[in-house]
Amino acid sequence: MKNFLDGIRVLDFTQYISGPYCTKLFATLGAEVLKIEKPKTGDPLRYQPPFANNTNSSETGAWFLYLNTSKKSICIDLKTPEGRDTILKLIPNIDLVVENFSPGTMKNLGLDYSTLSSINPAIVMTSISNYGQNGPYSAWKATELNLYASGGLMKITGEPDNYPLKEGAPLAQLGCGQNAFVASLGATMFAEDTGVGQYIDISIAEYGTNVMENAFMQYSYSGVEYTRVGNRGYGRAAWGIYPCADGFVGIISGPDHRWPEFASIMEREELSDPKYGTRSGRLEYADEIDALMLPWLIENKKEDIFKAGQEHGLGFAYVSTISDILEMEQLVDRSYFIEIEHPIAGNLLYPGMPIKTDLEKWVYSRSPLMGEDTKNTLSKYTSMQEQDIEDGINKGYLQ
Amino acid sequence: MTINMPLKNLRVLDLSRIWAGPYATKLLSDLGAEVIKLESLRVYDSHRGPVNPNPGIVSYPDADPGENPWNRNGWFNCLHMNKYGITLELTTPQGKETFEKLLSISDVIVENFRQGSLERLGYPYEIIRSIRPDIIYASMPAFGNTGPWKKYLAYGIGQEQLSGMAHMTGYDNEGPIKSGINHGDPITGSHAAGVILAALRYRKHTGEGMYLDVSQQESAVSLIGGELLKYQVGNEEPIRIGNKSNIYCPHNVYPSKGDDEWITIAVTDNNQWKMLLTKINSKELVKYSSYDFTSRKVNESEIDKIISDWSINYDKYELTHILQSLGIPSAPVMGAPDLFTDPHYIHRETFETVKHAEAGEHIYPGIPWKMSQTQNEIKSASPLLGEHHEQIYGDLLGLSKKQLAELLDSGTIGYKPTGSRIF
Repeated sequence: MKNFLDGIRVLDFTQYISGPYCTKLFATLGAEVLKIEKPKTGDPLRYQPPFANNTNSSETGAWFLYLNTSKKSICIDLKTPEGRDTILKLIPNIDLVVENFSPGTMKNLGLDYSTLSSINPAIVMTSISNYGQNGPYSAWKATELNLYASGGLMKITGEPDNYPLKEGAPLAQLGCGQNAFVASLGATMFAEDTGVGQYIDISIAEYGTNVMENAFMQYSYSGVEYTRVGNRGYGRAAWGIYPCADGFVGIISGPDHRWPEFASIMEREELSDPKYGTRSGRLEYADEIDALMLPWLIENKKEDIFKAGQEHGLGFAYVSTISDILEMEQLVDRSYFIEIEHPIAGNLLYPGMPIKTDLEKWVYSRSPLMGEDTKNTLSKYTSMQEQDIEDGINKGYLQ
Repeated sequence: MTINMPLKNLRVLDLSRIWAGPYATKLLSDLGAEVIKLESLRVYDSHRGPVNPNPGIVSYPDADPGENPWNRNGWFNCLHMNKYGITLELTTPQGKETFEKLLSISDVIVENFRQGSLERLGYPYEIIRSIRPDIIYASMPAFGNTGPWKKYLAYGIGQEQLSGMAHMTGYDNEGPIKSGINHGDPITGSHAAGVILAALRYRKHTGEGMYLDVSQQESAVSLIGGELLKYQVGNEEPIRIGNKSNIYCPHNVYPSKGDDEWITIAVTDNNQWKMLLTKINSKELVKYSSYDFTSRKVNESEIDKIISDWSINYDKYELTHILQSLGIPSAPVMGAPDLFTDPHYIHRETFETVKHAEAGEHIYPGIPWKMSQTQNEIKSASPLLGEHHEQIYGDLLGLSKKQLAELLDSGTIGYKPTGSRIF
């Protein structure tokens, strides 16, 4: 056995963000991921800018390139009877189906779980959707903005006297994709052991509610709603994002016994005043402390501030730009970035798996061109002959 | 009826603390693994809060820390349901002997200490493997176990900053803003849980265990890796644009009726735009009716202003229902009070009501998926400090009552913190 997930074959109907991150993890860990795309157009994410080499082609969208590494692309028109039949021919060779259409779409296509499991009872099918497959909001349309809001995370992000904010990155969709990977792999391993397949329903909005932590619990426990606190840690002081000479840094006042280090790091004797020595004291004098810290922060660079804190055992951080990350010494030292060649997008650096093992078993290969693997895959996993496939291409239900 | 679970008969020895590690073991527990949470009495999981907290802190039931505040903290109690809880001092010979017994019967060990801590206690991977040859050891320090920053510390909030997430988040032309939670933690936890599962599958086929060196920082960067590709192909840093979008317009949060009440609206195509205009029925907006995305984007501030003047007359749920009936993506901005009473989340049983021996009966976040065959259920609340000594040390390891008493007397295990460094 060469890779972790050797032998697992995934039929991947997903598009955009959430599902593709789930199946990217499968592919990187060695599963064979067959990405089913609509002929001619493919995954709509293919057209999301910016594009490599200013090509504005279906093959060079930045997020598409990242989310679809190590997968194969098979173009099948699911809305034609022949296209659907082709999918059904693949099903006996499939362990896991993942889809993120709006609820009901797979049923309308005649590809719902009961149809697929009647052909292959050990099959696992995972549906990722905005709000889940049932319930009053299951048909609601949504973008990341809407899901971050209804998942409870937006109300608590931003300045108290300003409007609520979403994250810049699509974290609800990506986070749900991660958890979909965990659930789908668990169920696939269960099916390998027992022959029992199943259906998994996972919701992006519910991912938000699952990671609210204390924002959820303090209301549950004491009926007091968590509020927006801007950059200041909840119920904390000297804790959050501050400006510095060349950007922004993250200051974390650690345990009380570490507080005296602040005065020496920041060269301000006043910070060692005992009234700031406890968490509650610091909270009371939060603005005073900020004023005392700022002169030193403004004079120093982000990486120097980060390291000054770390050398004193404090978990300081800094707000990295994307170019900072590409050059970060820690990431370079750990060979975190993988250079992948692509015939149209060219050579680019891709983040690798965030995990090192004593057996380096990750699969890193470029995102597939649209329909690149249609012929090979169908002749390998169905009874279709070369002529059948050519016919399908001529009729337009394959590409 | 007990149904089989994907991870039935799988034992996880969980030394992890705070959130990243506990979220990983929560997900494994959600798949049916037996998770034994091991804490030190001196340095217990700091999510349990201080030994002597000030009264009035709202993370405790009714803002009352009570007699044993470490058992009543919501931060901790939402992350450890279904797990067993034991204490053990790994610094004493008796503690080490007991720890090694636990290791020998565990399939997985998880820790997110500061890098090298377990090694300094005498347990590098080589020793752990010599005790349990096929063990899967997931070590999750902030920056991984190698490299110039390996000794550095970071919390979830630091990971939002060091991954580029904070850089991309904020109001127009203003500074970066942290999220309301610490995204870095669950992101790392989920990556770790997934790869632990994959390693278990690998072990099943080969008999080999494995060491997994999980970097929390890399975890956050990997999740938003598309941004790194974007930068390389476009040579432009992301800019902070509030809730706006580069591909949809209008796309923002708008005030609704009430104090700090809001609705999000995202118009993703021209047809939705026409539908929205019909509904708003504003003379000022008529001139924009034929505008496509690009021309709407040019006039975004004015369009947002007109929508805000209109939305504020509606209840956020009422308006969402109206907009959804027109096919326009929209949703209320929900706070915890909304979530707890929301008909959709109630219908789906998204949250669980759980009775905790010292905290009482409350609502908790549940299992983040629904499985048709192997859906787990919440059978027990998060463990009190040392709650399961008898089950784990007695029933599982077979220690006698006398041996247990000796462990208690020597302070190797216990029920009350002994001088905590928790802040």
